[in-house]
Amino acid sequence: MWLLLALLPALPFMSKFYLLLAFDALLFGTIAMSLDLLMGYTGLVSFGHAAFFGLGAYASAVLLERGIVSLWACLLGALLVVGLYALVVSFFATARRGIYFALLTLIFAEVVYTFFRYTQTFGGSDGIQGVPSPRLIGDVAIDTPLRNYYLVLVYLGLAYLACRVLVTSHFGRVLVAIRENEDRTRFLGYDVQRYKLAVCMISALLTGLGGALYPGRSAFATPDLMLWTVSGEFIIMVMIGGLGTLAGPVVGGAFFVLLQEKVSSYVDWYFIVIGLVLIFIVLFMPRGLLGVRDLLGGRRWRTTA
Amino acid sequence: MDYLVAVLLPQLLHGLVFGAALGLLALGLTVIFGLLGVMNFAHGELYMLGAYAGIAVVGATHSFWAALVVAPLAVGAIGAVTELTTLRPLYRREPLYGLILTFGLALVFREGARQIWGGDMRRIVPPFTGSTPLLGMTYPNYRLFLLAASSLLLLAIWLFFTRTRAGILVRAAVQDAEMLDGLGVNVPRVFTLTFAGSAALAALAGLLLAPIFTVYPQMGVEMILLAFIVVILGGMGSMGGSVIAAFVIGLAQSLLTLWMNPQRVAIAIFAIMIVILIVRPRGFFGREGVLE
Repeated sequence: MWLLLALLPALPFMSKFYLLLAFDALLFGTIAMSLDLLMGYTGLVSFGHAAFFGLGAYASAVLLERGIVSLWACLLGALLVVGLYALVVSFFATARRGIYFALLTLIFAEVVYTFFRYTQTFGGSDGIQGVPSPRLIGDVAIDTPLRNYYLVLVYLGLAYLACRVLVTSHFGRVLVAIRENEDRTRFLGYDVQRYKLAVCMISALLTGLGGALYPGRSAFATPDLMLWTVSGEFIIMVMIGGLGTLAGPVVGGAFFVLLQEKVSSYVDWYFIVIGLVLIFIVLFMPRGLLGVRDLLGGRRWRTTA
Repeated sequence: MDYLVAVLLPQLLHGLVFGAALGLLALGLTVIFGLLGVMNFAHGELYMLGAYAGIAVVGATHSFWAALVVAPLAVGAIGAVTELTTLRPLYRREPLYGLILTFGLALVFREGARQIWGGDMRRIVPPFTGSTPLLGMTYPNYRLFLLAASSLLLLAIWLFFTRTRAGILVRAAVQDAEMLDGLGVNVPRVFTLTFAGSAALAALAGLLLAPIFTVYPQMGVEMILLAFIVVILGGMGSMGGSVIAAFVIGLAQSLLTLWMNPQRVAIAIFAIMIVILIVRPRGFFGREGVLE
């Protein structure tokens, strides 16, 4: 699978346009995967991941705009900004369950959105436009779609490894226990809130790092990246792929991006199609695309359900 | 004294007017939440559809009053069909699926409206113009009508829930749907009709507010957040709480604009909400422990 993805740019029809599309597919796949840590494994639905993504993008865009073009500086900046914000959100949100968790993350994200939307220092509703490409080391700029593609592929690989190690570890088992029965996990002596806080932070940071890669591809960061409907789209990606599978949400994210692109090139009412696909999946295949694989017999993907 | 009459009083009335309309919107949301355990993300789109249905009826009949009757009925019918086809199969599943499903419905409705009516800002001409002298100032007639109509509706809904058999059945279903089912009541029908009623209320709020706001496909996206805030503030599933919270938010929003610019007001309202969620997540009148 990884080999296929690595060889993908060698295909003859992979123009720059398709490479950028592939970049988006993998980037949003990675973000959906980090959201899956919360949704699928811990049973917490975050409606505020767009803020982590957008803050990462802004942190990186601001640095690039000010002439700090090192990729590592951008990533570090995103880690700091997203980390600080995520710490506050997670601290308060993890004290609540279910719908209250979803709403707290949603409202915190709306505060961030409103702030960036109306603060002229960060370009207001236009955001930050036309930032230069980040440099990997020295003068090596990540300025072509091909280099961007490999960058995001490496990021996806590392993030996937990290998540996979996480969910198979003792820590991951406790998360699943929290999802299944929070009270019982607490009675067993686990400090449930600390586990939830930790997984929130990890998920937020992975999303923020993904956001930091975005301005390198698009040369902009706008407040629209943080609108709560974007958080909804992340949730859709996880649902399409299959909750609690890690690989599923990657597929779901890629599927969502490609579906949006394909349908929108034929009709301009693609949101209707996406909405209908989502409704269909909730009604008829609640385990997502990977659930279909299970139905067909093969169980190559590990699920926790 | 001049400040009071010229600035404070109109703003206070604006707040009441907006609060009353918000109450209609939040009431449907909280009843659906109590019944199905689902935060209905499509509620804002039903509100939006109400305004557009109103525009369509006004365009055909040139009568705002006809629209006031037809639009809620049409949107109520859409709500009933939606409930039957998409929400009913989810009754026994986790509420999470309902929430995500309504998000999908919202996408479909929003884009559908944009396809049918276009993405431009639209307005409905108020059915009457002019203003009335009131307490030393003048206030637009339509807003007074809006306040009166919404308040009467809220009163009617209260009577419905306390004095009629149908209303008591809905409340019983909120309390314990399984028990009600055991008593021989057709609970799925109660659900469908309640969903239709809540959709009709949202549509009515959309149509009533259309002459003072603008109508556009995304109008529901902003309102729904405010309605969520009202529902939480009032206590999830508490109807009286929602109405009181709607007035509180309406007044807070319009009074805060006196001292802050609109985006600061938005942030202030969010901040109030965050504090409530942290300190007292069940809101004013919510039952302790519900989904906490």
